[in-house]
Amino acid sequence: MPHPNQQIDQEQLVARLRTKEADAFSYLYDNYSAAIYGAISRIVNDENVAQEVLQDAFMKFWDKIERYDPSKGRFFTWMVNISRNLAIDKLRSKEMKKVGKTNNIETYVSGIERSKLNHLNVDGIGLKETLATLRDEEKFILEMVYFKGYTQSEISDEFDIPLGTVKTRLRMGLKNMRKVLQVE
Amino acid sequence: MNIDEYISSGILEAYVMDQLSPAERTEVEQAAADHPEIREELEKIELSMETLAFATAVTPPEGMKAKLMQQIGETRNDSKETPVVSMQPDKSMGVLRFAAAASVLVALASAVMAFTYWKKWQSAEDQLADMIAQNAQFAENYNQVNQQLDDIQNAVAIMNNKAYRRVVMAGTDNAPDAQATIYWNEATADVYLSIQNLKELSKDQQYQLWAIIDGKPVDAGVFDPNTGNFLVQMKNITAGAAAFAVTIEPRGGSENPSLETMQVVGNV
Repeated sequence: MPHPNQQIDQEQLVARLRTKEADAFSYLYDNYSAAIYGAISRIVNDENVAQEVLQDAFMKFWDKIERYDPSKGRFFTWMVNISRNLAIDKLRSKEMKKVGKTNNIETYVSGIERSKLNHLNVDGIGLKETLATLRDEEKFILEMVYFKGYTQSEISDEFDIPLGTVKTRLRMGLKNMRKVLQVE
Repeated sequence: MNIDEYISSGILEAYVMDQLSPAERTEVEQAAADHPEIREELEKIELSMETLAFATAVTPPEGMKAKLMQQIGETRNDSKETPVVSMQPDKSMGVLRFAAAASVLVALASAVMAFTYWKKWQSAEDQLADMIAQNAQFAENYNQVNQQLDDIQNAVAIMNNKAYRRVVMAGTDNAPDAQATIYWNEATADVYLSIQNLKELSKDQQYQLWAIIDGKPVDAGVFDPNTGNFLVQMKNITAGAAAFAVTIEPRGGSENPSLETMQVVGNV
């Protein structure tokens, strides 16, 4: 598993959150806030705005936990999508797109390696190297979608790449990442 | 369904990242329910995304957790409205601020656009004026050319008409190179002059055409050397002319020719 330091698995955690158990929320924050905050701050450049989004996101996890449907996917996927969407909404409402998104993926990863990385479950250097080995077009799509919050159709429109190509490139990029992340 | 193709289309990644339309989502969910391979692939994608997220995690600043714990404490203890109410003014302020910012932006944008379009309109206006002037010029040129064409057609008709006698007037000693031609219709008495070569005159002078009838000069009208016309109609001369001659006279012509100024002369 990618994060072995967690004692409670996601299913149990969801069950306890549904009963509005404050300890479960505390556990949720301790174990997931960094991963979620990372995802948010890759989309939102401004630290204060990122914190605002993180707060909104965790309140949403707490308030809307009934809406999470395990048959549709993992709990983390649900959380990260809520967070990403909140971040993107915020980004658009603040017209921050023009001010600038985050740095590119490599400088970002090296930034994490220096100081901020909380859950270092894979070799950070390995991750960076994998990103470096991705083909440029795959890296670009991965960066835009995963790290900057663009939708696939936005990339297609904005950079004039056919939607099908965007999808395949994203898939190939993620697939190559997986090898290093040792998911398969 | 070709499962490999479906998987490699990238639709599952888009599903995991919540980037599909509701219809597409339902389709993926159905496919995952029908095909365990797809379910498995989805799980792998989710896990890789999750791993990536943890690998690139960023610890949020201190104090965040305490704030959140306090916030959820409020929702648990108090009636659920309280936090919503306290959030409300903030949000509406946000909306107001956004609306204000947006309206300033819109105003700025429309000012810029208004100016841009005004400039464009102005230059279009100028261009239009230029083109109207050009058009008028073309119309005028066309009329002139048309007029000249009419003149030439008339001239050619006269020159080719056998009823007209052609009288070539050659230069005298005064002007050996001068030459002009008379087309004279005895029946109708019409006289036309065609200038081949006559010198320029001063402003107070004019050429005068004379018909010599019974040894006496008869006035056939005055003309300027450069009328631009191919043929110039002169005064009518009835039968009996033996010769035509051109003299230089004061502007307006004379009763009797100044014979010493004779430029061209030709016998009928």
